[in-house]
Amino acid sequence: VTARIVGAAGFLAALCVAWSALPLPPTGIAATILAAAIAFGVLSLIRLMLGPEPVEPAGFLDPVQRSARSVADLIRVLPWAEGMLVATLVLEALHRSLPWHTGLLGVALLSYLFAVHLAESRARLAVLRPQAPLIAAGLGLLALAVGAAMLPADTGSSADLLAILAGVAAVAVAGLVIPV
Amino acid sequence: VDPRVDQPKAASRTSGARQARPAWSLSAHAQRLITLGLVGLILAVITRRPEFAGVAAPAVLLLAARRPDRPGRIGVTVRPSATEMTEGEHADLRVTVTGAGEHSVDMLVHPRFAVVPGAPGGPAPGSSAPGDAVPSGPAPGGPAASAPAASAPAADGPAAGGPAADGPPGNGRTSSGDTGLPFHITRTGRRSLGTLEITLRDRLRLTEGHITIELPTVNCYPQPAAQRTRVVLSRLPSRLGEHPSRSSGEGVEFTGVREFVPGDRQRRINWPATTRRGRLQLNTFAAERTQNVVIIADASSDVGEPGATPVDLAFRGSAAAARAYLAVRDRVGFIVYQRSVRWVTPGLGARQYYRIMNLMLAGPVLARPLSRDPVITRLPRAALPPGSLILVFSPLLDRRLVETLRDLRERGFSILIVDVLNAEPSGRTDSLSGLARRIWRMEQDAIRFSLRELGIPLVRWDGVQSLDEPLAPYAKRVMVSRR
Repeated sequence: VTARIVGAAGFLAALCVAWSALPLPPTGIAATILAAAIAFGVLSLIRLMLGPEPVEPAGFLDPVQRSARSVADLIRVLPWAEGMLVATLVLEALHRSLPWHTGLLGVALLSYLFAVHLAESRARLAVLRPQAPLIAAGLGLLALAVGAAMLPADTGSSADLLAILAGVAAVAVAGLVIPV
Repeated sequence: VDPRVDQPKAASRTSGARQARPAWSLSAHAQRLITLGLVGLILAVITRRPEFAGVAAPAVLLLAARRPDRPGRIGVTVRPSATEMTEGEHADLRVTVTGAGEHSVDMLVHPRFAVVPGAPGGPAPGSSAPGDAVPSGPAPGGPAASAPAASAPAADGPAAGGPAADGPPGNGRTSSGDTGLPFHITRTGRRSLGTLEITLRDRLRLTEGHITIELPTVNCYPQPAAQRTRVVLSRLPSRLGEHPSRSSGEGVEFTGVREFVPGDRQRRINWPATTRRGRLQLNTFAAERTQNVVIIADASSDVGEPGATPVDLAFRGSAAAARAYLAVRDRVGFIVYQRSVRWVTPGLGARQYYRIMNLMLAGPVLARPLSRDPVITRLPRAALPPGSLILVFSPLLDRRLVETLRDLRERGFSILIVDVLNAEPSGRTDSLSGLARRIWRMEQDAIRFSLRELGIPLVRWDGVQSLDEPLAPYAKRVMVSRR
């Protein structure tokens, strides 16, 4: 089951990176970010495949094995999935694409995050059942946002209002971290 | 008995109910959702593209729905089904978590050395890596009773009252408030089972509470090898026992017929012989004597594959020999030869068997410096009674022990060595290493040859076959004790 979920996470990571890179070929800074996104995606998959940190003491390992374990520990510690997330979104923002294109990227990224979580916690798909209504509502909002973006451009006060709302929401999201 | 033997008895214990305070934090999943939400919203502001705000919307909704209520303390009861077990025997670790509210409980055992999580029919020993991947999830059964966390498990109920582990057995990971985690131990000793990592997760899996609990210690005795026959000396001390001796006595084994003399018991008159010879003839029987057996287990060279080292073989063979001799009411003593020497004086019965087993569990006394003197020769007379059969389970890698055995033989003890060496020095395959290995083998052969020349029988045992096979030449008839 875990292998299938890791495989699904890999597929979704590849899909996200490829989708955000369209239209090919990216040039300049976009090419650099694409390379970073690919690297982050691969490393996040390696992290999932490595699994949790082993508990045996490393005292009896030879230098090569100890080095390999150090590298594995480094891969486990760093947040590669977040890195890929940022890189793909920035890549998407760098070139002008259609709103539905970004919307689909959002769906793929959300699926990738859930696949990573399931693979990481070795949990079944059923554990996401309590989140399903919220995910559905969120996807509805995403569809609304995409629909709003596809309407004829309005450079007036509504765009400014949207920017203010997004800023407030960003502050609220940052505030959600503080209680824990 | 060496007084040090009884000291570590307290190590075998079980864990009762205890209150633990979880360390709460945002889950990695929540952190990724925060990243998605923040980056999406920031990009929406910078680029003035509302679709990025839409990308952030599901993450923001999920984070906003997070509820801050979480238990400050939970009750954890850890109880192994057995605190005394033998190698390879399966047992369960019963874990009950109470007071976790509606949080799901995920348990992961980090086993220590020689402890293998798994049930009968599960993965082969050694194949289960710590933290093996298995499915888990919120335990079935819904939220637990909302009694205070400090209350007894019976009043509070398990955090998730479902059945035992919902993951497959054999991996040490499960998600339930009341769970049996199967395990077995592959090596003799006092084994700490390891640590239990409990993770509590809320409904949305955004916050996690972590608890790490030290698991109890279990005594693991060696699995005795198969042994049905026994080596018996020709000269036995004059104590009542079950071995027929050369002298006549009150046993049950018929030895011959002699003429009746006044004072003999009439019930032993052999009437057919009396009729033939015309004079009263009497049956004679062999006296039945006990034997003193001292088993020496050489635990000084723990080389080779864990679980099949000479030490493991020595303990398994010693356990088999002790069981076989105690079954016929011989007096059995036991000596563990390590950095120091520990012993149990010869004794009888099932209690003696467990005293011997407990001596195997005790680790080496490291405080005492390594002595170069042959310490066995300086043991008190009670530990090595004259006329004893000395069974030695050793790889013969320690020169001090070899010299000590020579000395004991010269003092008239009857010794039988069971060679348990099953490993060779490993290393490169170049010619120099090959030459060194060959010299090492020749040295080992020379040691064994010199012991045989002194009249010490030496048999080889690989730990797989029954002990009866190597001992067969000496078990078929009495072993002549020479002085």
